[in-house]
Amino acid sequence: MGVRLKNVRKSFGTTQVVHDVSMDIPTGGFAVFVGPSGCGKSTLLRMIAGLEETSGGQIEIEDRDVTTVEPAKRGVAMVFQSYALYPHLSVFENMAFSLRLARAPKAEVTRTVGEAARILQLEEHLDKKPSQLSGGQRQRVAIGRAIVRQPKVFLFDEPLSNLDAELRVQMRLELTRLHRKIGATMIYVTHDQVEAMTLADKIFVLRDGIVQQAGSPLELYDDPDNRFVAGFIGSPAMNFFPVKVTADDGTYLTLTTLGAGNHGIRSVLKGARPEIGTELVAGIRPEHFELVDGGLPVRIEVAEELGDVSYLYSRMEDNTEVIVERHGSRDLLDGKMVGLSAQPEHVLIFDRSGQRLR
Amino acid sequence: MKSGTRLENGIITAFTLIVGLVWIFPLYWSFLTSVRSEENVVTEPGIVPDEFNLSSYVDALFNTKLLTWYFNSIGTAVIVTVVVLVISMMCAYAISQMQFPGRKLLYLVVLASFMVPAQALVVTQFILMNDLGLINTWAGIILPQLIVPVVIIVYKQFFDAVPKEMREAAVLDGGGEYTILFKVYLPLNWGITTALAIVTFIGVWNSFFWPFLVITSEDMMTIPVGITQVTDAFGIAYARLMAVAMLAALPVVLAYLVFQRRVTEAVMISSGVKG
Ligand SMILES: Nc1ncnc2c1ncn2[C@@H]1O[C@H](COP(=O)(O)OP(=O)(O)O)[C@@H](O)[C@H]1O
Ligand SMILES: [Mg+2]
Repeated sequence: MGVRLKNVRKSFGTTQVVHDVSMDIPTGGFAVFVGPSGCGKSTLLRMIAGLEETSGGQIEIEDRDVTTVEPAKRGVAMVFQSYALYPHLSVFENMAFSLRLARAPKAEVTRTVGEAARILQLEEHLDKKPSQLSGGQRQRVAIGRAIVRQPKVFLFDEPLSNLDAELRVQMRLELTRLHRKIGATMIYVTHDQVEAMTLADKIFVLRDGIVQQAGSPLELYDDPDNRFVAGFIGSPAMNFFPVKVTADDGTYLTLTTLGAGNHGIRSVLKGARPEIGTELVAGIRPEHFELVDGGLPVRIEVAEELGDVSYLYSRMEDNTEVIVERHGSRDLLDGKMVGLSAQPEHVLIFDRSGQRLR
Repeated sequence: MKSGTRLENGIITAFTLIVGLVWIFPLYWSFLTSVRSEENVVTEPGIVPDEFNLSSYVDALFNTKLLTWYFNSIGTAVIVTVVVLVISMMCAYAISQMQFPGRKLLYLVVLASFMVPAQALVVTQFILMNDLGLINTWAGIILPQLIVPVVIIVYKQFFDAVPKEMREAAVLDGGGEYTILFKVYLPLNWGITTALAIVTFIGVWNSFFWPFLVITSEDMMTIPVGITQVTDAFGIAYARLMAVAMLAALPVVLAYLVFQRRVTEAVMISSGVKG
């Protein structure tokens, strides 16, 4: 296993910010920790790096217990959001720094740094100082500094946040390519679910220091365990509205919208049945709505037409916001009343505490 | 800056000129005195140059222990400067970057010692040096001058301002505390170290009171103390005294000319205007 956490905990003083986190990241995997700001992603990553002490539990890297091993000896390298390049050293010396400290032979330094520079297309910049580079190039140097150490695990803490949108997309692709080429285990922290979806083999969604769900991007998208994950993954976000169970035929539940016209919608449920009359929350992704006569009535406030796709920003009778995504449509719908429906398998249901009913 | 009217500019220029003259006058008079003969100094005082007589310099160089005093001054000033910088940077680094119990208290102690006037400690220090048998030795001159809280404070502010991630990157690269201090932090801004070195050096070079107390043997004197020895049978030998003073100031003047910008910076940093 590339990285294994067993019941890892972290407290700062009396505040616990990471609660009993356990996870397995296979060797060569690309794991992403995603969650809102302050949920403990960075803290968890820094514990794996050894920059924060672990308050409880165990951290293993390549099946070796490293919980109390010092950072430089864990076989990890980290890329920081601010890059943290050494401003007084050239690009070459920045990348060579760890090798020099390890007293590597000169020829090896030249070869290893040269190789990293080639992979990252930094060869012509080796003599420059970091201040003479663009943001994207600095980012590459920071990655190069990590590559040179040939770590077992690469750790990235929001490495793309300081880049503009276009460059971010480009660097995202480059990171995927780099991962394929190097094949090392990578752990990547971000608050941006798009980055998580595009980069990860396996996403860990965190909230308040607890892993909400772990799985491949599509598992999380299609089959979220709870309302938080359902709402966090996907953009525009899933629509939620309160409903009440009004009928149950053993396969399909009939749900009635609360406060918004008592409209009926149906959902599939395989497991334990809620009692008739139970109040639940229904979740439907914007792209799963269809426009039908006699559907759930909403008024379209703004329609954003992007050519291939349009987003209809609408409101139900009780003002609950609903976003609908349509493809290939050319109807002009601004300000109109329309009816919405969705296939029962696309109507997810959550109990009042936010747990999914399957 | 807004440029004023011609009259305003004229007044400002005149004022600056006058202040400049007032400042330079003692230097000018000292120099004038040093190149006149001993009798003329006493019998015909004046501010107009009337002779250029280097005999006082020759006398200062060959009939006093000036060269020994130079050696003592340079030796003690260099040692004090180097030791002060090294222990201060390490102390500041520890206070700023390392976690250990009593860290805050230690810094408070440093700050507090900054508030105690050096003169208040002179008697105790003298007794201590005497007990240690260090009267009339370099160690006696050097030891009490090694604690310079302001250097620690300036370094600490410098280290505090370095982003935390810089340190962490170095830790992950395999750097220990000494590597981080000497290969990452100090090179981030050598200007600060240079500036502190200059200020410390000049301070030690000019220090008079302590060396004057702790040294009684002419062979161990530093230049400022040595100047007190330049008398002859008739009392103070003004021309020679001024010649020695000129020669004493020479290294500082040269250092100033070479590092002009750095000195200005240094004075500003250590007086808290900047940094
Ligand atoms: N050194 C620290 N001391 C005290 N609290 C901290 C420290 N570092 C982080 N925290 C707290 O831990 C929580 C998680 O922080 P962090 O891991 O940085 O979140 P994220 O990276 O997900 O935004 C936050 O509430 C933060 O205030
Ligand atoms: Mg963070």
